[in-house]
Amino acid sequence: MFTRGTLIYIGQRLVLIVLAVLGVSSLVFLGIHRLPGDALFSEHLHGTQYQLTLHHYGLDRPLWQQYVSFIAGLLHGDLGESLVNRGVPITPIVVREMSVSAEVGFVALLFTIGVGMVFGVVAATRQNSWLDYLLSTTSVIGYSMPNFVIATFLILVFGIWLDNFTQGTFYFQIGWPGRWGSIGAIWLPAFALGFPYASIVARLTRASMLEVIRQDYIRTARAKGLTEFIVTVRHALRNALIPVITILGPLVIGIITGGVVIENIFGIPGLGKEFATSILNRDYNIVIGVFTGYAALVGIANLGVDLLYVVIDPRIRY
Amino acid sequence: MAATAAIAASRPIAPEQASLWSDAWRRLRRNRLALVGVVYLALLVVVALVALVHTPYRFSEVDVGRPYSGPSGQHWLGVDELGRDTLSRLMIGAQISLVVGVGTQIVVLAIGVPIGLAAGYFRGWFDQVVTFVINLFYGIPDLLVALILVFLLGPSLTNIIIAIAVTRWMDMARLMRGQTLSLREREFIEAARASGAKPIKILFGHILPNALGPIIVQATFGVPAAILFEAFLSFLGLGVPPPTPSWGSMAAAGIVTMRIAPFMVVAPAVALSLTLMAFNFVGDGLRDALDPRSRR
Repeated sequence: MFTRGTLIYIGQRLVLIVLAVLGVSSLVFLGIHRLPGDALFSEHLHGTQYQLTLHHYGLDRPLWQQYVSFIAGLLHGDLGESLVNRGVPITPIVVREMSVSAEVGFVALLFTIGVGMVFGVVAATRQNSWLDYLLSTTSVIGYSMPNFVIATFLILVFGIWLDNFTQGTFYFQIGWPGRWGSIGAIWLPAFALGFPYASIVARLTRASMLEVIRQDYIRTARAKGLTEFIVTVRHALRNALIPVITILGPLVIGIITGGVVIENIFGIPGLGKEFATSILNRDYNIVIGVFTGYAALVGIANLGVDLLYVVIDPRIRY
Repeated sequence: MAATAAIAASRPIAPEQASLWSDAWRRLRRNRLALVGVVYLALLVVVALVALVHTPYRFSEVDVGRPYSGPSGQHWLGVDELGRDTLSRLMIGAQISLVVGVGTQIVVLAIGVPIGLAAGYFRGWFDQVVTFVINLFYGIPDLLVALILVFLLGPSLTNIIIAIAVTRWMDMARLMRGQTLSLREREFIEAARASGAKPIKILFGHILPNALGPIIVQATFGVPAAILFEAFLSFLGLGVPPPTPSWGSMAAAGIVTMRIAPFMVVAPAVALSLTLMAFNFVGDGLRDALDPRSRR
């Protein structure tokens, strides 16, 4: 499956990811240093103390020297030190949060593809039935609702109303136990994050299924006496999935960026949560780190999707 | 026999000629969902216009009612955490959403259409550069770029429109390029060229009018995308600066107090969803009406 060409391709892509990460972080670094104001200014810090703090972070040097040492640090995987919590290195924080964001995104992606495909296939095989209309309407509503609206309603229903209704026996507890969370904590955020995209997948699957099930080879498969299930799944769905696969790239990016909002609503300690907190705290070093982390995450996810194409569609070679 | 022939002669053989637009309008009218969307959007525009001259309370006035109270006769949609009237804020928020949505599409049209036209018509190195840049922009996540831009430019209505347009112009440019590529090979363009029309005249007088259908559909789908973006930015605190309300920032404020005042988050969330849905319905309807072949 992975020939020598594929390995070379992966190598090239990794170089491109590094370049993209460098580009994004440089842009944010230089942009942040153009912003007015002083991140370290406070009434508790003045005179020599202030100068010493500036010196500690190297902020008293000319911009180009700061930039050179930033890039040098970045190439060593060192994103510097938090401006608010002095002495706390940023790289471990960003790496941990990247893994949490990736976890949530991955579960959301599984949900998106699973539910989207099932909905699409069911709607297509029962075209123009009430079930088809119900699913089609749901998917129009789904992709018209921003994920934070869906998240809000889910919290209202599962977090508050269910709690009141069952008098506290069953309800969704917002929170994130441990580093990796738990199944009880992840299913609702993943649902909120994936639902709009599941709607798009369902629409696409339905449309391409409708085209495929009218093909001759499907009639042949039925005429051979195969069961309806085998025909639908093995013959029709496999070919109907090809147009769906093409939107996998934008889908993954959408889920990653959508996570910024979802993590803040559900209090998940991922990159998105850190993003909002660090901007509010004016911890610019962490802001740079978060954007760097996002650039890396998007690059890696895109590479993963492109490699997945090879697995799914053997005609694709790199 | 003679009578039949006379009747046949008096009736025109071909059905009455309908232009593309009246034909599309007829098909659009038959699409119930799209009509509902049009009506809703018309109402929304009216609300936004009325809010210019009159809202029940001033949107930034605090303590007009008891904070966190639900819907009542005086405050139809309740009161927010500072005692501001939610309905008044929702009406101003409709203005913001519409301005961002339509404003962004105007910028996108102004950037995307000329670039796409030129790239598709002249081809060569210019087309290669444009295609490369478009692919480059598709490779980076749009929300992150918009976040970086708003963060660096500072939150304001103009900057939000700029930031969203920067991440959205490629769709229009790519569409326009594709349309131009196929239209430029048609006979009527060749005829125009043969009769000595200048490139500007061909591009804007002959190619552009023939690509209007897809452009309108694309722009209609672009408006809800931009509104959604603005809501995201406001939700994260990078939208229009307070006290100006935006549906996104209202929802963000409402989520915090959801347990005691669910109406604060439900009102902007429903308004936002309905608006996005209406635009999507109208967009679907326009696509089916303007290009009947694409209908499934």
